[in-house]
Amino acid sequence: MNDAQLLRYSRHILLPQIDIEGQERLLAARALIIGAGGLGSPAALYLAAAGIGTVVLADGDTVDLTNLQRQILHRTDSVGKTKVLSGQNTLATVNPECGVIALHERLSGERLASEVAQADVVLDCCDNFATRHDVNRACVEAHKPLVSGAAIRFDGQVSVFDASRTDSPCYHCLFPEGDDANEERCAITGIFAPITGIVGATQAAEALKLLIGCGESLAGRLLLLDGLAMEWRSIRVRRDPECTVCGSRSDA
Amino acid sequence: MATVEFAAAIQRHVACPIQQVTAPTVRRALAAALLGRDELRGYILDDQGRLRKHVAIFVDGAMIRDRRNLGDPVADGSEVFVVQALSGG
Ligand SMILES: [Zn+2]
Repeated sequence: MNDAQLLRYSRHILLPQIDIEGQERLLAARALIIGAGGLGSPAALYLAAAGIGTVVLADGDTVDLTNLQRQILHRTDSVGKTKVLSGQNTLATVNPECGVIALHERLSGERLASEVAQADVVLDCCDNFATRHDVNRACVEAHKPLVSGAAIRFDGQVSVFDASRTDSPCYHCLFPEGDDANEERCAITGIFAPITGIVGATQAAEALKLLIGCGESLAGRLLLLDGLAMEWRSIRVRRDPECTVCGSRSDA
Repeated sequence: MATVEFAAAIQRHVACPIQQVTAPTVRRALAAALLGRDELRGYILDDQGRLRKHVAIFVDGAMIRDRRNLGDPVADGSEVFVVQALSGG
């Protein structure tokens, strides 16, 4: 780190759990963020500001006026632009040292597998179950930690599914894939703006902790946020030995 | 007696206060809590009475082992907590 970096990241370096060593790890890290919307916005802002070396933003959508109420990565003059280019522009003003790779696509198949394999941590900030299961499968296959967040109405969920640990469940252990999933979209149901901020910022915290190697991650726990009561609840999630995604994992 | 509670996100669809039930298993506890609540029942269980994929159940803060038959034991004083997956982002 040069003098400017030592100063920029000094409030991190002051923390004994991070120190210069932890900050160096962040500077060398690559994070893949799936979705540059309500959750991806705060997550990307915190990761970039905190000094992550490379942030890969993947999203196939363009910015709509209805997004601006909560998607704080995007500005009024971004309407009509791709979310990933809008995000790249904003992040460049926050921290020009953070390399941002903008992928204007809904990652799947080989493209998803390739991006997950290159990442040190993956943040699922998407808005549909199909992508959630795709991303989970790719992370289990590549043994990459997945920081998963979701939000709708006044409610949020966040957890870590850490395929680099043998005792950690995967997303499919908790919610098996099925065609009866009740898909609710923010566009129809509504979403209280700060809920996405709280959940997305929590995802950023978990991703940074995993990269630094400090504290206890949310692996094996699911946090539920009831934003109307403003109460968090923590419940224990275990690996399902019959899980069709991670059950046959060689290290099981 | 055990309690059955539905997470806040489920209650945004159908309000359901915490239910007091006497039941030896999760299956029986759920059946008792959902008695006369067809709308909520259809949201939690499918036509065959199986747990829907986007729903998970926890007893005393830990995920149940038997998703298929919901045979996990429920003790006197246990708290059964029903959660649904959220997908918005
Ligand atoms: Zn699994």
